[in-house]
Amino acid sequence: MKTRLPLPVHLQFWDLFLIELSNWRWGWRNLVLTGTVLPIFGILLLGSFARDLGAHALSFVLVGNLVMALLFEHMGKLISHFAYLKMAGSLDYFATLPIRKSVLILAASSAFFILFLPSMFVVLAGGAWILRLELHLHPLALFVVPLCALPLAGIGALMGVSFRTPEEAAATGRLLTILMLTIGPVLIPPERLPSWLVWLGFLSPATYAASALRQVLLGPLASRLLLDSALLAACTVISFRFVDRKMDWRED
Amino acid sequence: MKNRSDSVYSVSRLTKIYPGKNTPANDEISFEVKQGEIFGLLGDNGAGKSTLVKQMANLLRPTGGNVSLYGQPLQEDPLLVPRYVGYMPQTARTLNSLTVSEALYFTSHLRGCSRQESKREQERLLQLWDLKDIRTELCSRLSGGQQRMLQLATAMAGRPPILILDEPTNELSPQRRRHVWETLRAENSERGTTIIFITHDAIEAEKIIQQVGIMHKARLVALGKPSNLKKQLDQQLRLELRFQPDSPPDLPPGLQPQELAEDHWMVRLERHQVEAALSGLDLSRIDDFQLNSATLEDLYLHYT
Repeated sequence: MKTRLPLPVHLQFWDLFLIELSNWRWGWRNLVLTGTVLPIFGILLLGSFARDLGAHALSFVLVGNLVMALLFEHMGKLISHFAYLKMAGSLDYFATLPIRKSVLILAASSAFFILFLPSMFVVLAGGAWILRLELHLHPLALFVVPLCALPLAGIGALMGVSFRTPEEAAATGRLLTILMLTIGPVLIPPERLPSWLVWLGFLSPATYAASALRQVLLGPLASRLLLDSALLAACTVISFRFVDRKMDWRED
Repeated sequence: MKNRSDSVYSVSRLTKIYPGKNTPANDEISFEVKQGEIFGLLGDNGAGKSTLVKQMANLLRPTGGNVSLYGQPLQEDPLLVPRYVGYMPQTARTLNSLTVSEALYFTSHLRGCSRQESKREQERLLQLWDLKDIRTELCSRLSGGQQRMLQLATAMAGRPPILILDEPTNELSPQRRRHVWETLRAENSERGTTIIFITHDAIEAEKIIQQVGIMHKARLVALGKPSNLKKQLDQQLRLELRFQPDSPPDLPPGLQPQELAEDHWMVRLERHQVEAALSGLDLSRIDDFQLNSATLEDLYLHYT
């Protein structure tokens, strides 16, 4: 009997990446709103409070709002996307194609990251202008920015496939987003937070993402970047392994 | 593939109980589907048909029993179904952000066709399923019937040797339903494609079904060739009568009509009752009548 062999992994990735990238057709309005307008307003609001506290505090406002955009736009979108795939039966469609689950997860994460990039540039440039901060973009940003997005993508996909309905997944996602923004020095410098909140922050990947982004976007680079990168990479591996295991093609 | 018989699918004592439920959705179901066969599954709503085909597509984990494809249990190789089976689910909301052409191209390519083959396959399927005029439309903007035609096309993309179709003619107009059955029959006779489908459209499906399974309350209550199963209906005939709703006809004693609509009855007759029934009818009160031998729909109604 004539049967075809599955496509090589890189071609599977490219097809699935293009399929996932086509989500810009319905998602661009939300990207403008929650990915750009919301963080810019956040910068305006928090910046007016933090202006008297100096450049150090303003750097937390800028990068914290960038992380907020990442959480809403990248993690939040992947929560909704995977919850919808599950609810609409699209996962059944993918399950009956000769593709790897892990490639689908990676393709969706990559595509949604690409969709987030324009918002990130607008928030970064607009925020720096509003806060009168000077950007010092380090070439390592090319490596660090995707590394900050990947663990959040893994957590988003994991939440999307774990809840029974898209509504449950989205509500829990919003709660998690607020938690990740408030625990740890993401929006507010650590010296202005209670120490228990700073300690709790070590459990959140948003803390390491904010720290790494501050170093590669505003400088200076410190040895802390190595620790941040290692922990973000570990979070990525763990979350992707969890989602790969949880997103069983075969339902119970 | 190791397979000593000509069976494509072998389903053995398959049982499915969903978590939190006490009653099974599938209860000890066993049957085989042969190479190149058209196998139709009939049954009332909630009988367990979709649960059965989802297990055959390896999308649901059985509670008991097993399903083998070409002699190999499905759970042993996750790529077994994707390599051989084109599956069309009951719901129609996949690939919403792609256009019709893109959905066909990517499905063909992901099933292992080369880029050129995928483009040819895309054009063939657009033509075959009459989707040319909507090729640039987003899938999310299609009507229910168009979505169903696209789903049929994507199930066939890359020419898999087995098709599993969950209610392929739902939401389709009579002309499109006929087109679906004709296309599936051609696919089967020209390429030897094994086709397994669920339908409620028993009268139309009868033209192509070679083996039928009838499900009722989670069990497979009848299995075999339609002609053989019909013999078990004691040579019954069906008399359909159409009349004005305000003056229904009087039937000879002993005959009980089944009301299909307020102006449409169906009466089951044994062969020896035919002459008396027809001669006893007042034809002036009847607009139209038809006398038929048992159909697949009668079988379905008989067993459910």
